[in-house]
Amino acid sequence: MVLSHVFGRARSLATAPANWTEQLNEEQFAYVLLVPTFILIGAMAFWPLWDTFQMSLHADNLYGGGFVGEFIGLENYVKLLTGQRDAVLGNSFFSVEEPFRSAITVTLIYTVVSVFLETLIGFGQALVLDQDFRGRRWVRVAILIPWAVPIAIQGLIFFLIFQPGIGFGTEVMQNLGIFSSTPLINSFDSTVIIIFADVWKTSAFMALLILAGLQSIDRNLYRVADVSGATLWQRFKLITLPLVLPALLVAMLFRTIQAMRVFGVIETVSSCSVVPSLTCMVVGTFQSGRFATAAAVAFITAAIVGAVATIYIVKFADLEGGR
Amino acid sequence: MSAASPVEDEEDGGLLQRWTRKAIADPRSVYQALFYVVTLFFLITTLFPFYWLLVLALTPLDAIVNMGLLPKGFNVYAFVEVFERLPFHIYMFNSIVIALTTTVIVLIFGSLAGYAFGRLQFRGKSVLLIALLAVSYFPPAAFILPLFQLFTGNITILAVPGAGAIQSPNWFNTPGAMVTPFSALFLPLTIFILTTFYSQIPDGLEEAARVEGTTRIGALFRVIVPLSAPGVATAGVLTFIGVYNEFFISFLMTDGQAQNWAPIVWGILNYQGQYQAFYNLMAAASILGVLPVVILVVVAQERIVSGLTAGALKE
Repeated sequence: MVLSHVFGRARSLATAPANWTEQLNEEQFAYVLLVPTFILIGAMAFWPLWDTFQMSLHADNLYGGGFVGEFIGLENYVKLLTGQRDAVLGNSFFSVEEPFRSAITVTLIYTVVSVFLETLIGFGQALVLDQDFRGRRWVRVAILIPWAVPIAIQGLIFFLIFQPGIGFGTEVMQNLGIFSSTPLINSFDSTVIIIFADVWKTSAFMALLILAGLQSIDRNLYRVADVSGATLWQRFKLITLPLVLPALLVAMLFRTIQAMRVFGVIETVSSCSVVPSLTCMVVGTFQSGRFATAAAVAFITAAIVGAVATIYIVKFADLEGGR
Repeated sequence: MSAASPVEDEEDGGLLQRWTRKAIADPRSVYQALFYVVTLFFLITTLFPFYWLLVLALTPLDAIVNMGLLPKGFNVYAFVEVFERLPFHIYMFNSIVIALTTTVIVLIFGSLAGYAFGRLQFRGKSVLLIALLAVSYFPPAAFILPLFQLFTGNITILAVPGAGAIQSPNWFNTPGAMVTPFSALFLPLTIFILTTFYSQIPDGLEEAARVEGTTRIGALFRVIVPLSAPGVATAGVLTFIGVYNEFFISFLMTDGQAQNWAPIVWGILNYQGQYQAFYNLMAAASILGVLPVVILVVVAQERIVSGLTAGALKE
């Protein structure tokens, strides 16, 4: 008797939130469902973003209490961009003379070269996967596996291949006249290795997005091309490429945004003092207690990512509008 | 063509010439050969690094000098030693627990939000979707400083004059400091995937359940979610792999000790730092660390492919 009463109460408590939502109209119910998501994202993304921006407007506070010092407006940004903070950063922030040793340039070089190579190789992989052949499933698994490898392990693999005296990579590249004898402490060589590592891991992502674009192409178009005697190259240039371009741009946008965050693979292959990417500089200044400078570097990184993303989106809108 | 060629072959002899002649007569066969060459090239380049790890792991430590393409010895013991020098199994366990917890949170929150975006009409829908999209554009570096302060107990959440203040929890070195930000950063992708799947369930099925007295939330979890199982699996697999592979936040939110919930990133980095001469152990650790995701890719490749393409093309 008592037991059933207890169970009854427990049951009504369990169904209580569900019953309460029955009173709401559709719009109110939608907002209720979105509350957990936006509380979480608000606390973990929107608030930190705003707080980072505010920190970037203050002075570094190395000795007193608190994370940042007094309000100094845009001084951090000015000093970073004019090179007056380079001594603190360990490497220059922006320098055209030594592009592989300055944050903005090395990040951009890495991004442009690796996204370019990934697009080419990803396109090749997608064309292979678009064919029907025996064992296609397993080829797809093999191409996909590097994409799922943790960044730390990806970095370690290429560290082991290019560690002088251990791996064969350095010898090969040295014989080709490209590398020095100590590639892991040479900025140019390390950037090349990190690009190799990135192309190995993420071409598959490119390939899958391009493949989705390829498979949405109407096969009848190819039949028409065959009838009118088009060569394979003409088929590719006049049918495949234009129709795949939107998917290709989306894939490139994604990869570009991710490539500009590069940090982990640098830390494992070489070190942040050798290849000073933008995120490397955020971590470096953060770990030495210069929170305001770190925040300003982080915000400049976000601004550059945003600018690049905007270029893609404008290009994409052109493409869609031109149809 | 095929009937004529043997006669010609006898006339010109050379293998290369024969092949060239055939190729000119039928270019398709060249494309076919080219296709196999290219496929083989992709297979070798993607799989070779794993073979290289195996070569290093099997070679006894004192024999690891100027390694070629074959192992110098067969030392399986490296795969045991890798757990003895450092508790590598604990790093892996930590990573798996953190990834699974994040996946569960993301799927629950994402289901609620995906239902709202996919099946309900409300004002501000597109603005909120764009806000979610924006989250995935920002580099994690732009979030990390305040999050670090938050999870080291240095942010005052609520200050009551005269009665003191409530500080943020000190979660540094606990799973919370990683699971909470991961959940936020991986939610947008899951929401995009689930929105697509949930919007495709016919209204009639949900209404039938509602007529039988199921509540709205009940209909979501008893009708919509089970019918969208492939979508839920896709979102779950992508979140798990994403968290397991993450470097930046995992690197900064623990001190690197296995007992302090440091994930696999730190297991690898500690081998590279503390045991920097033990190349065979680094390789063995990498092979073991990669196994969970490799198994997942082999088992769930269809889901991964559909998720990556659906999620990205949606946006």
